[in-house]
Amino acid sequence: MSEEKLPPGGPAVTQTGHEDTRRFRVYRYKRGDGGERFDEFEVPVGPHTTVLDALRWIKQHEDPSLALRFSCLHASCGTCGMQVDGHEELACVCSVQDHGEQITVEPLANLPVLTDLVVEMDGFFRRFPHEHPIIRSSGCPSEGEDGEAHLEGGHEVTLDLPSLVPLHHHPLHHHHRAATPAVDFVRLEDCIECGLCLSACPVAATSHDYVGPAALAAAERLLEEPRGVEREDVLAWANRPEGVWRCHVGLECTRACPADAIPAERIMALRRELMFGDSDDEEGKR
Amino acid sequence: MSTRHDAHVLIVGGGATGGGLAHDLTLRGLRVTLLDRGEVTSGTSGRHHGLLHSGARYAVGDREAGVECIRENTILKRIAPGTFECNDGLFVAVCDEDLDYLEPLVEGCTGAGIPAQRLNASEALRLEPNLNPDLKVAVRVPDATVDPMRLILRFFATARHNGADIRPYMEVIGLLAHDGVVTGAAVHDHVTGKEGEIHADLVVNAAGPWSEQVAAMAGAKVPMTPSPGVLLALRGRYCNMVINRMHKSGDGDIVVPQRGLSIVGTTSWVVEDPDDLSVPEDHVERMYAEGSKLIPALRHAPRRAAWSAARPLVGSAGAASGRELSRTFQTFDHAEQDGIDGFVTITGGKATTLRGMAELCADVVCRKLGIDEPCRTHETVLLPHTAYYSEALAA
Amino acid sequence: MSATDELPGTAEREQPGPIRHKGPGPSESGWLDPRGRGHGGRALALHRVTGLVIVFYLYLHLGVLSMLLVGSSAWSSFLSVVTAKSFLAFEVVLIAAVLFHGLNGIRVAFVGSGIAVSRERALFWAGTVIGTAAVIFAALHVLGALS
Repeated sequence: MSEEKLPPGGPAVTQTGHEDTRRFRVYRYKRGDGGERFDEFEVPVGPHTTVLDALRWIKQHEDPSLALRFSCLHASCGTCGMQVDGHEELACVCSVQDHGEQITVEPLANLPVLTDLVVEMDGFFRRFPHEHPIIRSSGCPSEGEDGEAHLEGGHEVTLDLPSLVPLHHHPLHHHHRAATPAVDFVRLEDCIECGLCLSACPVAATSHDYVGPAALAAAERLLEEPRGVEREDVLAWANRPEGVWRCHVGLECTRACPADAIPAERIMALRRELMFGDSDDEEGKR
Repeated sequence: MSTRHDAHVLIVGGGATGGGLAHDLTLRGLRVTLLDRGEVTSGTSGRHHGLLHSGARYAVGDREAGVECIRENTILKRIAPGTFECNDGLFVAVCDEDLDYLEPLVEGCTGAGIPAQRLNASEALRLEPNLNPDLKVAVRVPDATVDPMRLILRFFATARHNGADIRPYMEVIGLLAHDGVVTGAAVHDHVTGKEGEIHADLVVNAAGPWSEQVAAMAGAKVPMTPSPGVLLALRGRYCNMVINRMHKSGDGDIVVPQRGLSIVGTTSWVVEDPDDLSVPEDHVERMYAEGSKLIPALRHAPRRAAWSAARPLVGSAGAASGRELSRTFQTFDHAEQDGIDGFVTITGGKATTLRGMAELCADVVCRKLGIDEPCRTHETVLLPHTAYYSEALAA
Repeated sequence: MSATDELPGTAEREQPGPIRHKGPGPSESGWLDPRGRGHGGRALALHRVTGLVIVFYLYLHLGVLSMLLVGSSAWSSFLSVVTAKSFLAFEVVLIAAVLFHGLNGIRVAFVGSGIAVSRERALFWAGTVIGTAAVIFAALHVLGALS
């Protein structure tokens, strides 16, 4: 067990003593005085410094009034979403080494700004279907007597959703079938509700009613694994002008998604279900 | 829900402790205001690896902690269904030395009431094919994986829905006192930049590793030893169960699955300032080395993030690494300790026991305020975490 | 709730905040800005622009045809305009716009119906190759026809 005191300074300061700095242009907004502006800061960075490290350094050493939203520091909670040089990122895993000498940081688009880099997430969550379970089968089903894969409730689940981008392949990701173990495991859904997809969506700025990629993807996951939600309800919810039909296949959502939740593919799967899916329930609803 | 009692409690700190307490006091009918300088759970609470302890890790050295854990583990799974990956956990022996720990572990678990099941190597590998093929034996315990922020958010959502005023981005910059009684706080609002004051009948300091600094604002002493550790998130979901190393607590003795990531933790050192946390690369290396003893594929898994968080350990320096200090929690009634009334600190603890901590502190708060209300949190199902953001999802 | 009213900024927190959006102008222009976007977002922007160009051209074309009803002198002056090299260059641009809109439209129609989603990239590049080849062929033909 190490007994030494470790060198002081936040994670932005490099351990090797090698000095490297970047200029950060940071969006600022405080309610009451109404002004939106950009402040500039010179920040010392190291080989593993993230944008969030740099912003926290600014808050601690330069300007304590900078409001930041973050929690887990490892792309699990989804709270630190922002635009870095115009591109949606989770600041906690966005390395400054992937950016240039000057880095511009702004809040996410398409959601109202509360203050500085913090947006109000109410509007994001209100778009979701009412039932929104976050635990699902792990995709490692046990084998039934007929040799077919079965999950809770006996529904067969489509695990082979095609992806537009290379997923971070590994044995137990739910997009790949693993060796079948003896038990049914569960896991948290991939989606971390970060809002990057809504910010990146080219349609969301024009259409303020559009439910957006995250909400539609959540609905598709309910089709994949119902967990007590009726299929017709999900399809009816998606089958609205502000639902699945407002998407124009920009595919920016999957590109922005930091968690392999593949929203674009899920929206297309929903549309396919609505157009070509089992017609029994649907014809009566139209 | 309107308040039943004419008492207003101000809670400083929006972590697991503050959230649990806000929920408990609101259910008991008190008016609650909670302040945090940033987003809720942005301190230590949001950063842990996501383990819901079965208590087995403590069963050998600290039976009391083990008993606490299994009790809270069971309660949390009941009041927050749909938030846990209830896949159990394994304690895995990868070398002969580890086997010395097997009997103490099983005995400790049995003594603490923690279900423990011995498995041989092939049974363990059938459950978790990516484990170290040289493993000798395993013990299965009711660990679970949780999303740290989302579990805590359920407490906040329920408290808010029941009338508590949860106010993030409101920093306490001083405590107001009159004649040796704390009467409220001076605050700075980060949303507008304005300052102001808020008054309350009792102020609770739930600021985690910052508790010492907050207590000092009232002239009270809370000896804290912030003790950070490094955690490593690797890309790839290599297990569904929590994988623990079958030996005494040490660096890198756990791998927790979190969605498409595997979290390896942790190390331990001490600091004075909980905002002053580094992430030493040699600790990251140690996580890779220890983690791959449990799951060899982790050796080459790409790094998603490396971060540190300060454990709020109670007790003063003299501890070299932080592992010697107790992880149980303590409530300080400053009227008794420092002659300052209207001020209570609750600190220490670990994530799994957040509800239990809150219950004990709420008992102290109610006693001080002369309120007789039982705790109901062990039987109240929490609202979904999304209800924190949107009233519409609370129905 | 008198105590909560004490906290500064309470009223301000209830007000609507500004919304950041991409795009050069009002939020409705969000789709237009190609910066920071991938091939999908840029194709969407270009699809809308080419759509507008084609609609504009259609009305222009109908307008011009109606002017030709006047007589042979109108026809001759019309021919001299449309056979000028600069106009032919515009025609090549128009052909490119129509090809892009049509080929991209096929891609969007397939992918948007949930068909061939995993081969979207292949569709995009196939369309790009076919379209570029067709535009080059058209350019050579249209512009080369003058001599």
